Amino acid sequence: MTVSLATRLVTRRSPPLHWRRGFARAAVDAETNTVAARELPPFDYSPLPYAGPTADEILAKRKEYLSPSILHLYKNPVNIVEGKRQYLFDENGRRYVDAFGGIATVCCGHCHPDVVEAIVNQTTKLQHSTVLYLNHAIADFAQALASKLPGNLKVVFFTNSGSEANELAMLIARLYTGCHDIISLRNAYHGNAAGTMGATAQSIWKFNVVQSGIHHALNPDPYRGIFGSDGEKYAGDVQDIINFGTSGHVAAFMSEAIQGVGGIVELAPGYLPAVYNTIKKAGGLFIADEVQVGFGRTGSYFWGFEAHNVVPDIVTMAKGIGNGIPLGAVVTTPEIAEVLTHRNYFNTFGGNPVSTAAGLAVLKVIEKEHLQQNAFVVGSYLKERLTALKEKYDLIGDVRGRGLMLGVELVTDRELKIPAKTETLHVMDQMKELGVLIGKGGYYGNVFRITPPLCFTKEDADFVADAMDLTLSRM
Amino acid sequence: MAMMAAMQRSLKTTIAVAKHRARFSSLRPSAAAAADTLVPPPRLPPFDHQPAPYNGPSADEVYAKRRTFLGPSVFHYYQKPLNIVEGKMQYLYDDSGRRYLDAFAGIVTVSCGHCHPEILNAITEQSKLLQHATTIYLHHAIGDFAEALASKMPGNLKVVYFVNSGSEANELAMMMARLYTGNLGMISLRNAYHGGSSNTLGLTGINTWKYPIPEGHVHHVMNPDPYRGAFGADAARYANDVQEHIDYGTSGKVAGFIAESIQGVGGAVELAPGYLKLVYDIVHKAGGVCIADEVQTGFGRTGSHYWGFETQGVIPDIVTMAKGIGNGLPLGAVVTTPEIASVMAQKIHFNTFGGNPVCSAGGLAVLRVLDKEKRQAHSADVGSHLLERLRVLQQRHEIIGNVRGRGLMVGVELVTDRKDKTPAKAETAVVFEKLRELGVLMGKGGIHGNVFRIKPPMCFNKDDADFLVDAFDYSLSKL
Repeated sequence: MTVSLATRLVTRRSPPLHWRRGFARAAVDAETNTVAARELPPFDYSPLPYAGPTADEILAKRKEYLSPSILHLYKNPVNIVEGKRQYLFDENGRRYVDAFGGIATVCCGHCHPDVVEAIVNQTTKLQHSTVLYLNHAIADFAQALASKLPGNLKVVFFTNSGSEANELAMLIARLYTGCHDIISLRNAYHGNAAGTMGATAQSIWKFNVVQSGIHHALNPDPYRGIFGSDGEKYAGDVQDIINFGTSGHVAAFMSEAIQGVGGIVELAPGYLPAVYNTIKKAGGLFIADEVQVGFGRTGSYFWGFEAHNVVPDIVTMAKGIGNGIPLGAVVTTPEIAEVLTHRNYFNTFGGNPVSTAAGLAVLKVIEKEHLQQNAFVVGSYLKERLTALKEKYDLIGDVRGRGLMLGVELVTDRELKIPAKTETLHVMDQMKELGVLIGKGGYYGNVFRITPPLCFTKEDADFVADAMDLTLSRM
Repeated sequence: MAMMAAMQRSLKTTIAVAKHRARFSSLRPSAAAAADTLVPPPRLPPFDHQPAPYNGPSADEVYAKRRTFLGPSVFHYYQKPLNIVEGKMQYLYDDSGRRYLDAFAGIVTVSCGHCHPEILNAITEQSKLLQHATTIYLHHAIGDFAEALASKMPGNLKVVYFVNSGSEANELAMMMARLYTGNLGMISLRNAYHGGSSNTLGLTGINTWKYPIPEGHVHHVMNPDPYRGAFGADAARYANDVQEHIDYGTSGKVAGFIAESIQGVGGAVELAPGYLKLVYDIVHKAGGVCIADEVQTGFGRTGSHYWGFETQGVIPDIVTMAKGIGNGLPLGAVVTTPEIASVMAQKIHFNTFGGNPVCSAGGLAVLRVLDKEKRQAHSADVGSHLLERLRVLQQRHEIIGNVRGRGLMVGVELVTDRKDKTPAKAETAVVFEKLRELGVLMGKGGIHGNVFRIKPPMCFNKDDADFLVDAFDYSLSKL
């Protein structure tokens, strides 16, 4: 296929000259390899011309005015100026497949028209007034959200982020039980505030400040964990912690059903039900952190915990809940929620009309466009293709996850499972050059995280797998 | 021209005062009753905007849903809660299309005005382009906003962290203080409010907002409250309490001190003049950093200065902000020096939503609007007029114990006894309701719930101020 034909297929309108040149580079490179570079799946949209600051100008400003702990991906960081569905556009108008979803956050797709409409409509009416006054948006969304949860989980608290949601969940659990001890998993990520930093369990995210009352249990990691996939054996560690590290009573156990930041680690089967029983005997509450895994992303279920056959006492969510708008939520039972009545708890921005209108629109889109089913179908297909790549390349140690929450772990030695950290960075960079934006995670930074918008298609999946294939073949 | 207007206003006030004195005294109920029929309630200033017809759920329906799905701890204003469906500049509209003067701005949050066209435009345009991608990719909005915000800061305060709320900002500030100094002890004021998360609950100093969880190393010092404090406005004696806490309650070294320059939730309490200067010195000598919580006082609201801490003549080491920063967008920020910020480079600290393109674009628009429309000067101007009129009111109504604040951050405290300063909690609740009926939505605060908080959108004008005071006058007369 000639360059000009490929270009016409992709862009369909007369693209600026520099696009064509940019695209030509990738195709020419491909000619020197056995695996051919693919064109992005067709997409009938042209981004607006961009006249803003360049990547270099932005980098300079970031260096001067933003936190030194702020990181960015890639040796040549990409200046993302526009998004549409599962694609992002850089300052040159180049399109990328967004296989990371702004960290599992953009679930309906960038600038999904229904969600944008809800946001714009509400913003023009009323942005903010607080829950001191009534407004139907918060009530309607709370009701719709509650209807997605099992059991008696129907009281909703709105926050502005996952950290805030988890902080509140921890507070509620401690108040409800009168106990301080909380158990979380090694390799977990729950947030960056005082309490949640304690629950988070990877040294890179933990600052040298006092974090009290948290016990980190053995991670039921089927790939790297000491008991392989024997969920019940790992659960024994939780019982040990309770028996020997606490008064015998705890406030809560909290975990993600599939660890996100930790590198898409699915908890070993049988683990959560066993832990659930243990925690209940110790008087504790079960907190399910659905910040990344919720809203149909896993395909087979709406919530991650559903795959493990447990009904939590408290569920926390953020990220995908608003397709990118700053929003978080804690859902629990009326009985547990009652503890907050003893004093005043208030969140100024939480539950504002715009964020809740967006949240409601997101739920409607997920249903209308069958995004959960799509995540299942496309996700399974992608996992198959990635598993096939694992057969082909020794560098791939593990392929795991469900639906559109997938992980690919790179190792330099399959037996010793030595993390292939540098290789991961290299592959990430190369894939960007080919037009795929992917995520990274895991304690060793050697796991690809694939958590795209749930409108991701089979063509997109093929494109990602092929790009990975091409990159690995060149190494 | 301005002179004439000023004279007219002054004349209007004098006439109103004379009228009122001539009307009736609270000791003569029958005369008061007779006067009711003679004096009509004040009317809202005119406003050229028609709210959209509302076809959504009624107040009762919404209230019922809230009780079921938002849980028993969600509270609300007014016995019959108000269903607010639309906002425009300094006014709000309920489900029947009735207009109210918003004297509370969604808790000091709607700084430019509800649905201000420029802010709306910035939000809608960016929402259509890119809502979210996170800082792992570049985007110009966050840098532009950080730069603009930093330019408003004195000293070397120029590194900005974006978060999503005031609680998140104060959490981060507190962590920075501990990391930077290597010390543990934090000092905050009694009657302070700093947030509802683990660490900030500790900093908060009002029991109604504190749940019984471990706080660890937080010292609540005497509040330099000129009205209720033991030392009146004598800043030095309050500052001494800080020294004592350090000397006797810590290792002698502390992590930091945090305060609002005018306490918000605590009831618009202005710290005794000169207090922060003395305390900042004490804290620095004990190895600590000084944090200014500008969540409510920032962005020109105090009129005399852009930041509340400037009214005390100090430069903090860390400044936190939220609420008004985005005119209602969920946005917060922490600004500090490169030196202090560098401790955060030891590990990764990430905020998924923080600094997103839409909030950054909105925040930048807010800064521009506030500058363009000269909201700080306007707040000074309208605020002084408001305070002047309230002070006159104080002379007429025994129940007003204190009028305080500056710019458009004003508090009016009701007491049943001016000497004992007994909080007039019940009366405040009654007047609060009455004001709503008249079309004024106020805020309420103070540990006893007896302080009116007047903190409107900064487009609030003198006519609004007059209406508010007249309504207040009318309501108090009815007690």
